[in-house]
Amino acid sequence: MQRRGFLVRLAASAATTAAVTLPYGISRLLAPPVLAAARTHLRPPGALADDRAFVAACIGCGLCAEVCPPRCIRFFQREGGDLLNTPYINPEAKACILCNKCMQVCPTAALNVTPREDIDMGIAQIDRSACYPWVDRGICGACVSICPLGPKAIDFALWNQYRPVVQSGCVGCGQCVEVCPHPSLPIGIVERSRGTVTPHRI
Amino acid sequence: MSSATTGKPFFLWRHLNKLRWLTLTLVFATLLLLPALHLYQTYVAAHAYDLLAPDEQRFYDTMEALSAPFTNDPAKDLDAVKGTTWSANLFGLKLSDPLAALGQAAAGHTLYLPFLLTALIPVLLTLVLGRVFCGWICPATFVYELNTNFSVWLRRLGLKTGTRRFDRRIKYAALGVGLLLSAAAGAVLVAGVYPPAIVGREAYYAIAQGGLGAGSVFFVGTLLFDLLVARRGFCRYVCPGGALYSLLGRFRLVRIRRLVENCNDCAKCNAVCEFALDPLHDGFGQECNNCAACIAVCPTEAMTFTLRLADIPPQGPGHLGHQYRKQHSGDNARHQQAVA
Repeated sequence: MQRRGFLVRLAASAATTAAVTLPYGISRLLAPPVLAAARTHLRPPGALADDRAFVAACIGCGLCAEVCPPRCIRFFQREGGDLLNTPYINPEAKACILCNKCMQVCPTAALNVTPREDIDMGIAQIDRSACYPWVDRGICGACVSICPLGPKAIDFALWNQYRPVVQSGCVGCGQCVEVCPHPSLPIGIVERSRGTVTPHRI
Repeated sequence: MSSATTGKPFFLWRHLNKLRWLTLTLVFATLLLLPALHLYQTYVAAHAYDLLAPDEQRFYDTMEALSAPFTNDPAKDLDAVKGTTWSANLFGLKLSDPLAALGQAAAGHTLYLPFLLTALIPVLLTLVLGRVFCGWICPATFVYELNTNFSVWLRRLGLKTGTRRFDRRIKYAALGVGLLLSAAAGAVLVAGVYPPAIVGREAYYAIAQGGLGAGSVFFVGTLLFDLLVARRGFCRYVCPGGALYSLLGRFRLVRIRRLVENCNDCAKCNAVCEFALDPLHDGFGQECNNCAACIAVCPTEAMTFTLRLADIPPQGPGHLGHQYRKQHSGDNARHQQAVA
């Protein structure tokens, strides 16, 4: 009967653990995503939306990087696996200036000539629990000043003219990420579908 | 293209090998210069001269001196020549390696015509001239041939270097497998194992991106393979691009042929041939890259260019060699017996 007792105790402890952790699990499932993970590997502007299609079309010739004036385009090495030699931009290190040279020089259809407003590298997302003006730690506005697309991409909040708010016109070039003076980078580029552009959420 | 009256090859053909080394050097130097010019361009575009470190300022001055005679606005005008042998942009003309076009078509399961057309000029040149890319342009060839010379020095010092031989058809299998894997993975995997693409890319990474990339390890591996296992082994037995160029050059118009009446069977042509072909027995085949090294090395002017769609069939021993003279004197003796 020793085995039976052991099994009963095992089942009981499993049930207890489940009962105790269930509320935590449910609360995790119901909680809204606070901040989508920032992407530090953006594709160059004009890249095919489907990343698998992009990898299939890119031959890794490096022409996009060779014409890039700010030299922001880098290439995946071993860590990229089968993304080897395909281009990416890390806006934390160096951001795209939307000069559109890379898409013009690309010999394949991996990068396509796209008007500036239609580029989709992602969208900026501000962590309002860290951004200096949002936590009343000063007036910064670096992201709004640097933005190459102006107030249609990022603007100050109507009711507090120091707090930056991302607008739907943002194409995700990442200039704001590069310029952000906060050490923890409370602004980052996320996928457009995960971005929050509701301007006056309280 | 040999003159029929004298039976001598045109005197310039034996100097073509020097021209070939010049071309290889120029292509390799260009691949080093273009990333440097790009770096200079970015400094110009950023108006960054006063912010540069002293050695960067020296670099800036050098590049300015090099490019100033050809450009008004370096940041813009230097965009005219960009790229590597894998894919390049020359004054608006886009050129790509045929393997890039094929690999991309395989990876994407589509034929994207604007890109395929960029490989048209190289393909047409290969159809007429054969595998000339491998001998005359390929930046990896430059390194590989220097590697071969290095192994000759090592042998003179008494060290053993690789002299194994494998089946040359392996590279056609490598081409097929590479394309199949590219198609299966949905990524242009052949680009990662193709030395000329690697050399151009790594030169760019090293100069303009601050460090060599993953491909350099592979390339050093092929150099060691050439040195320790088989002379020029990667090009001979593995290179998928070489396989593609060989297939395209099978019915090339410009060929090397042996003038049997000048040949003395010394076999220097076979010894010098980087691709392990058999010029001594008229065995050039589709893998000859018209590099003209056998023409340059021939002591009796028995190698020349010709315009034919196929190799001439084996012509037997050279007329200046022992074997032919033995046969010939035997014939003479029999002939004299018959006359007597």
